[in-house]
Amino acid sequence: MPVSTTPRPALRGPGPSEHPGDPAQATLESLGRSVGAPAPGTAPAVEVTDLVREFTRRRKSPARALNGLTLSVPEGEVHGLLGPNGAGKTTLVRILSTVLLPTAGRAAVCGHDVVREDRAVRRLVGVVFGGDRGLYTRLTARENLEFWGALQKVPARLLRARSSELLDRLGLAEVADRRVEGYSRGMRQRLHLARGLVGEARVLFLDEPTMGMDPVAAREFRTLIGELRGEGRTIVLATHDMAEAQALCDRVSFVRDGEVVATRSPHALTDLAAGVEFDDLDDAALALLTDLPGVTEVTVGQGTTRVRTDSEEALSSVLATAVGQGATRMRTLQPTLEDVYVQLIGDRGLKV
Amino acid sequence: MGTLAAGFRLQLRFYRSYPDLLVPLLTAPLYGVVFTLVMRDGHRPDLVGSASLAPFYMSLWWFALFSGGWIIQTDRWEGTLEHLVSAPAAFAAVVLGRISATLLPAGFAFTETWVFARYVLDAPVTIRHWTVFLASFTVTLFAMAATALLMAALFVLARNAVTFSNSASFPFYVLGGILVPVAVLPGWLQPFTRPVFLSWSADLLRAAVAPGPVPHPALGLGAIAVLGVAAGLAGGVVLSHILRRLRTRGELAIT
Repeated sequence: MPVSTTPRPALRGPGPSEHPGDPAQATLESLGRSVGAPAPGTAPAVEVTDLVREFTRRRKSPARALNGLTLSVPEGEVHGLLGPNGAGKTTLVRILSTVLLPTAGRAAVCGHDVVREDRAVRRLVGVVFGGDRGLYTRLTARENLEFWGALQKVPARLLRARSSELLDRLGLAEVADRRVEGYSRGMRQRLHLARGLVGEARVLFLDEPTMGMDPVAAREFRTLIGELRGEGRTIVLATHDMAEAQALCDRVSFVRDGEVVATRSPHALTDLAAGVEFDDLDDAALALLTDLPGVTEVTVGQGTTRVRTDSEEALSSVLATAVGQGATRMRTLQPTLEDVYVQLIGDRGLKV
Repeated sequence: MGTLAAGFRLQLRFYRSYPDLLVPLLTAPLYGVVFTLVMRDGHRPDLVGSASLAPFYMSLWWFALFSGGWIIQTDRWEGTLEHLVSAPAAFAAVVLGRISATLLPAGFAFTETWVFARYVLDAPVTIRHWTVFLASFTVTLFAMAATALLMAALFVLARNAVTFSNSASFPFYVLGGILVPVAVLPGWLQPFTRPVFLSWSADLLRAAVAPGPVPHPALGLGAIAVLGVAAGLAGGVVLSHILRRLRTRGELAIT
């Protein structure tokens, strides 16, 4: 999947709203202006408060997909939504993109309520739901993109050129005039992405955008996300891919049972699973460490003891205590977002 | 306008990609042969003209029912409805654009049917009242588009829409006075024919190819227009209702 050679901005650089002089800000100024949206930076890109969504079921009590979820995403941020199947990520994306109505609570995009001002919201957002469906499979990729671009109100004089540019950017130029029914899953996913981008949306909702992509294409997709952030867009990315979230997101929110259980930068989140591994810890020291505040997990293995903490302060306390007890052989653990995920969400196995 | 045009182009591309959607254009001449021979064999030369043109109305109804009527439901099955609804363009405009495109093959169906009736079946179909013919043809296409919009919305609500659309052809051909004039139908059935715009259209077309003056052309044209407007308004209301309902229930896509 070839991508443009535009220099990629720093992955965790400050958002454009914090840098008024940033060229990216100028790009942002041109987005969403025609719809009476609040000026960039004056309202969060996404503001969700106590959002509830229930689905009625026959002869059963309603299933609650969102249970008072609250979330705020500032403009220009790449925000990850992480959580297991059924956590409510897709339901949230569907509500924010106006295809689903909430049961209670409030959700707004750039200051526009998704229920009362749905038409204004639609002019601001681009959506990638992912999956095999959602495309006209007997039409070519170019025909699909031109149709969806027209629905995104892209001026006719620009549409053809923009479609060609996007198809090229997403590596579909050579197959652009073939019917989509012959596409692989990854190719369809790229076309989904192209559709999400064709309207030059100010806020992009991407639900499992790399599902079905091969590793090389997924890597190029990450480059593309970096470019989009450089253009000043806000991106909400629902994903299961921890590496993807860690590489792309300014902040991530862990969603469990329809609620956000933590929102921090990936770096700060990994502090939640900071830890140290000892080779020579005796039982007395082990008992002391177990009782220390901030210790979340102690695992004794064959000759080693792993202690997990929920903060750097707790980790310092563990180290000091262990050294005081005579421990000499130890190494810090480098937690990944996956460690944090398991710690926050829990090991649910195959349950959904 | 851009959205209407996009919907229009999309439907034309579907006709290219799904040629089976144009099957009435193949069957119309065959029906024309059957109906004309039945009338001639039954010694009813007065009905040969209308019978030979009946396939046009059958094609028209078929396009309204199957081509236009299934637009929204097919998008639900394909998973495209969510994207249509989440786009800034008005969804109703997309549907109207697509339905408008169904008028093209419907218009072609008339040309095909008339040429076949006139030059192959040698039926008396010479158009004698061009004004009435053109006016009735125009309002008939409008009423068909409006009816297709109503059906497209209703088919989303109806659980047994497939059964309805598969079985709704011939009853409407009878009620529409397509095969034989409404006046020939049993008396008790005739009141049921008046709410069907096709019955007024067929009467006017028959009158337009018959010698002598056209009886009450304004009444017929007005009836078709009123029925079309009513269907269009009802279609708009139902469409708005179903979109709200699908968004509330989370049923925009059928998985």
